[in-house]
Amino acid sequence: MHLKYESQLREPLVYGEKTYHNVTEDIVRPIEAKPSKLWYIGFYIAVSLLLFGVYSVYRDVTYGIGQWNLNKTIGWGWDITNFVWWVGIGHAGTLISAILLLFRQGWRTGVNRAAEAMTIFAVMCAGQFPVWHMGRVWMAFFVFPYANTRGPLWLNFNSPLLWDVFAISTYFTVSLLFWYSGLLPDLATVRDRAKTKLRKYFYGVASFGWSGSTKHWQRHESLSLVLAGLSTPLVLSVHTIVSFDFATSVVPGWHTTIFPPYFVAGAVFSGFAMVQSLMLIVRKVFGMQDYITIGHIEAMNKVIVTTGSIVGVAYLTELFMGWYSQNKYEGYTFWYSRANLFSPYGWSYWGMMACNVLSPQIFWFKKLRRNLYVTFFMSVIVNIGMWFERFVIIVTSLYRDYLPSSWSVYYSPTIWEIGFYLGTFGLFFTCFFLFSKYFPVIAIAEIKYVLKTTGENYKEKMVHLEAVDASVFGHSGHGHTIVDNESSN
Amino acid sequence: MSDNKYWQSFGELNNSEAYQQASKDEFREELPFEADTKGFLQAITPRRDFLKYLGFSTAAAAVAASCEVPVRKAIPFTNKPEDIIPGVSDYYATTYVQDGDAVSVLAKVRDGRPIKIEGNNLSPVTSGGTSARVQASVLDLYDTARLRFPSINGKEATFDAIDKAITEELAALKKPVVFLTSTITSPSTKAIIGEVMAKYPGTKQVVYDAISYSGILLANKASYGKATIPSYRFDNAKIIVSLNADFLGTWLSPIEFAKQYAKGKKINEKKPEMTKHFHFESVASLTGSNADERYLHRPSEAGSVALGLFNGLNGQSVSISDATLKKQVEKVAKELLAHKGEALVVSGSNDVNVQIIVNAINELLQSNGKTIDWATTYNTRQGIDGDFATLVNDMNAGNIGALLIYGANPAYSWFNSKKFIDGLKKVETTVSFNPKADETTQLCKYSIPDHHYLESWGDTEAKTGYFSFLQPTIAPLFKTRQWQDSLLKWSGSTQDYLTYFKSYWSAKVGGENGWNKALQDGVVNPTATTTIATTAFNSTVVASAISAISSSKKGGKLELQLYEKVAIGAGQQASNPWLQELPDPVTRATWDNYVIVSPSLAKTLLNIDLSNDGQADAYEVQPAKKVVKVTVNGKSVSLPALIIPGTHPDTIGIALGYGCTDKMGKAVIGTGKNVFPFVDGSSTTVNYFVTDVTAELTDDLYKVALTQTHGSYDTKQGKRTEVMKELALVQFKEEPNEIRDDREKELKPFGGLENFEKEGTIYPYYDKPGIHWGMSVDLNTCTGCAACVVACHAENNVPVVGKPEVMRFHDMHWLRIDRYYSGDVSNPKVVFQPMMCQHCDNAPCENVCPVAATNHSSEGLNQMTYNRCIGTRYCANNCPYKVRRFNWADYTGADSFPDNQIGIVNDVVMDMNDDLTRMVLNPDVTVRSRGVIEKCSFCVQRLQEGKLKAKKESRPLEDSDIKTACQQACPTDAIVFGNVNSKHSAISITRAENPLRTFYSLEQLHVLPNVNYLAKVRNLDTEEKDEWLKGDKKEEKKIEAVEKSS
Repeated sequence: MHLKYESQLREPLVYGEKTYHNVTEDIVRPIEAKPSKLWYIGFYIAVSLLLFGVYSVYRDVTYGIGQWNLNKTIGWGWDITNFVWWVGIGHAGTLISAILLLFRQGWRTGVNRAAEAMTIFAVMCAGQFPVWHMGRVWMAFFVFPYANTRGPLWLNFNSPLLWDVFAISTYFTVSLLFWYSGLLPDLATVRDRAKTKLRKYFYGVASFGWSGSTKHWQRHESLSLVLAGLSTPLVLSVHTIVSFDFATSVVPGWHTTIFPPYFVAGAVFSGFAMVQSLMLIVRKVFGMQDYITIGHIEAMNKVIVTTGSIVGVAYLTELFMGWYSQNKYEGYTFWYSRANLFSPYGWSYWGMMACNVLSPQIFWFKKLRRNLYVTFFMSVIVNIGMWFERFVIIVTSLYRDYLPSSWSVYYSPTIWEIGFYLGTFGLFFTCFFLFSKYFPVIAIAEIKYVLKTTGENYKEKMVHLEAVDASVFGHSGHGHTIVDNESSN
Repeated sequence: MSDNKYWQSFGELNNSEAYQQASKDEFREELPFEADTKGFLQAITPRRDFLKYLGFSTAAAAVAASCEVPVRKAIPFTNKPEDIIPGVSDYYATTYVQDGDAVSVLAKVRDGRPIKIEGNNLSPVTSGGTSARVQASVLDLYDTARLRFPSINGKEATFDAIDKAITEELAALKKPVVFLTSTITSPSTKAIIGEVMAKYPGTKQVVYDAISYSGILLANKASYGKATIPSYRFDNAKIIVSLNADFLGTWLSPIEFAKQYAKGKKINEKKPEMTKHFHFESVASLTGSNADERYLHRPSEAGSVALGLFNGLNGQSVSISDATLKKQVEKVAKELLAHKGEALVVSGSNDVNVQIIVNAINELLQSNGKTIDWATTYNTRQGIDGDFATLVNDMNAGNIGALLIYGANPAYSWFNSKKFIDGLKKVETTVSFNPKADETTQLCKYSIPDHHYLESWGDTEAKTGYFSFLQPTIAPLFKTRQWQDSLLKWSGSTQDYLTYFKSYWSAKVGGENGWNKALQDGVVNPTATTTIATTAFNSTVVASAISAISSSKKGGKLELQLYEKVAIGAGQQASNPWLQELPDPVTRATWDNYVIVSPSLAKTLLNIDLSNDGQADAYEVQPAKKVVKVTVNGKSVSLPALIIPGTHPDTIGIALGYGCTDKMGKAVIGTGKNVFPFVDGSSTTVNYFVTDVTAELTDDLYKVALTQTHGSYDTKQGKRTEVMKELALVQFKEEPNEIRDDREKELKPFGGLENFEKEGTIYPYYDKPGIHWGMSVDLNTCTGCAACVVACHAENNVPVVGKPEVMRFHDMHWLRIDRYYSGDVSNPKVVFQPMMCQHCDNAPCENVCPVAATNHSSEGLNQMTYNRCIGTRYCANNCPYKVRRFNWADYTGADSFPDNQIGIVNDVVMDMNDDLTRMVLNPDVTVRSRGVIEKCSFCVQRLQEGKLKAKKESRPLEDSDIKTACQQACPTDAIVFGNVNSKHSAISITRAENPLRTFYSLEQLHVLPNVNYLAKVRNLDTEEKDEWLKGDKKEEKKIEAVEKSS
């Protein structure tokens, strides 16, 4: 499917003297070796956070939502902020695997596996918030359209919260299928190399009897395309629908038609930032520098600066509309509650602006785009900024809305609200650590697929072709044969 | 009887063996086990059956193992009393009695327990009006802190033992016996006291009022020869001038006055005229907030203001050093002169001389006989400070043998309580009839707690000739006894009080029938309509009063005004959680008292500049307020400071009635501090202000539980006139259509007023046939007294959440009264807006609920289905009126996780869930559990009851069938409710008659609320209006336009 010849101007996607065997060895090694100390430390921290989160949630379920500092004016705070934040992060994986697959972006192969895993874990984390923020979570099943004896009380299909239920569950299902179907050939590779019975059994079951036959590959390819086709609209729809949670309301600052594209751009923005953070860690910890290259990092930084700028335009548009509409309620929300640095929550708006709009602009400079430290720092900054964005949208809109009589006291979270958030970090990283230990963090099969066209040593061998007259390529279909001959030397 | 045998089948007829066997076996068919000889374990079960068993046993095990909920026992009647029908309420006429106050009420009794207090329409004094305190009094009945038995020296004793001990002690006494009581208006009780006095010669009665009215009593004695207070007729006055008298909130008879006041404030749109109310005060009060014009002065200037008015009316020069105040006084004098015979001046001062001047002013205005009625006088305040001071001296001198204390608590509420306590120790026999272990009762030898008024028989005569009766609505909950019974016993009478009371009245009201009618009505009124009478004025005392005032002390740098709160008063009901949690109408604070400072004093004292947005925001959003230490004569108190506009810059205010003993109940623990020791007792009458105090800022912060933090609907991004509409009378006369035009302009792009409902949306329009409920609130007559808020609490089982929760903005009020300021920040105009669920026809809360837990009824009600609610809180976020309330914790004990709220909610809330206190719950209203949203339902239980009543009588619904709790409680009838689809209903008539003032809050959102407001019109002249609207952009534009055109 890929061009057999790739321009020398393009950076190689795999560095080093790699053969197919090397690739397998490099990527499967961490699975077969004992985890490092670093892995154990990280895992313990993650599990501890998870347990603290479980306890925080236990408190909120047992004693009531009053364990949090929400109030009669601010009905949502950290809970929904975190929900939207995690959902946003859960966007990059599917975008990388589906949309980039359709756009034939070869560089996705190095990062797609981990990004997809991240998506799934992030959506799992996101899902915790709408569930546990319910006052009566034991009645949560009311949101499912099942047949019951409760008479006319069924679901309210007008409610964006219900759309959320469907959107997120669909997204989660499709992402999971996509991720897992991609894993099949790699799991089979691990199975084939397994030395213990248990491993053989486990990976045997997990790989669904993959034999690598042409028929399998053919079906795999088709399935990938179909799922990619299905996921592509989902990438856009999920965050669009999440944005409806706000956009369909009457709250000034929420009731905005710009929300769907703005939310999607923001989601891609934060998703890529999270992929960057994770990839840089994985790259370092598992020594995957050859597969996750500076080229990958740079490509993602380009996405970050693009989406960051889109988000910035959205912010400015909102401000403009706050003035242009001459609606005093919106004007107040945008110009006083938010843009005024000296208002009680002004700091959060300017924190958001600094993190999301101003700081990513440094990626216009190639040198900075390709600097690992800057990239890592920026990826964290962007995610902080995107957290602020959701906080700004939710809290600064609610705390001073229509009736000045109901303007709220200052809202800051309790330890249990923070604990719940930390707990989702625990969940996320627990899953991610387990994933990195038991699954190939880079898609072996897909790397092999691009290895001989974009691998460094293969590309070098093709240098002489640059000198070959174009007419040679134009006349015969033998060009690739020559390359193949060359490279197999 | 025939011996015919009836049979169902031949099997039965023949009674064959097989039939017998079959009828014995439970399962007529074989169980589907393919049993064989190998035994049960090897039995082959068909797959379907296996699944059935599996399903059943799993479900059974799950049911048996879980779902354990706490058992609450409900025991039915063995013999049902004839007059108790489960589910049907009985109403008994009785009278709320608290100190001298007496309010005719109906007690709603369900299944033998009083659960709600409603006003009694038959009383001409209150005409069915109530106050917050009256509404809350039903909860006092179930107060867990009530004394539950009589005691001697704190040890439980029987009534017999106590009677014996006391009669012996009284008989042996050489020194006189003294009754120390709060004002008693009961004629029969007075007669009984007379009998005791006859039995023990030398006995006397000293009346002690927690808040003294000696000044006015003595002044009237001097001016008119009668130590009593005449009836005021605010409804006859065109000009009302109040000199620091909070007559709508706490002064003398606020329910009655509010009713009269509202008459003058109701506006006829075709002929807009209304009373004008000038108010002079030092610290923002409820009445001052309602005034058309409020003028501020120092407390020490009260005398000179009165004198200034007097001089102004006499045509003499007004001598007041403060130039602004002087001008204001002159202006008021001019207005008064123009309305002779239809003006009324009242004063809340307790200074005899000031009150004499006020009497003289009213004489000059010819009020006597027009707005002041001497034919009926008040009996509700009779205490003379001098008498009590003498008594305390006598006690200290050891001259008092026995002190029988009823309703008085001087150990708490007298400024020199130490002296009283010392004296009390020197009295041999001390008896307290107070219902609680208050400060005084704790020091008494004998405690014989009186019944609560809902358990009592009795009578009252609040105004001469107007009697109101008490009858028990429940058997006594504890071992308490009416104090009249005790007195009768000790006087040697064999009658009990009921017999005495009945025989006392039967003769007067016309025998058994008359007695029954009197009890049923609850009131006996004068037969002939009384005419307003005058009384002769003795002008000779005026001169000495003038000279006394002229030589009175000048104020220091900072002065202190002590005041009463609408809810707490002098603290008699301070242990009532409903009242503690009731946001004060003026300050919107709950559960505490505090130092009120003006915005300009805040700048110098607290370093908070409200004109600086950042500082104002920080002050508003943080519940922690700066603590100020106030020192008076070496006594000091540290309290948090609240900045309340409408307060004189050189004055601070602190509310009385807080900081009483913890034994009064859990609700008073940690709430505020007692400032009665600050009361100035240096003259013949006590004064509730101090002319020289020091206030210093401390480093401490103290969290105050406010329910509203922002008080202005004017923002930098525009005035939110969609929320609140108010205007001056001159504007209304000039441009009566202004409000309507504003609405029309706002809605013009969406079809205008006419078609807004249909064209303001892309969705189809639905007809609303049948009943459609609507409410109208007249902001002109609403005084913000908050009776409705407590009524709503009582009617709808609205939980109390306690101070820590209110502090976190978790208060649960279904109905709140928003307070907005406008105009000059130092002395703004105030408007109160009762805000409850607006029952929008296009409700934004309804379409966002994922499970349809909140939905719309065919009668226009926005309903909450509590057991469908899963608590996502989106509805609360999306409610533009922010009236939805979430159960953040288990406030009611209704949760399925029992007893897990210790440490989560405070003791007061736990106490509200006590079995005794829960008796106050209305069985018609679900008690909401943790995790669900709740809100105003328009009292849907009352609507159903009313509809059922009409249906049973086969007639259309009438207005009188249904009154919501808030509407019922309102003393000014500001709330009108009914079916808007009926042309004859009060609500339709109200809306039709007031098209120019009607507005809907946030109408432009197209949520289509069913609650409308009638805009507030202030009686301001052009000059006052300009002053009020100074800085208003719209006004400026108008002025510019006028200038250009001229």
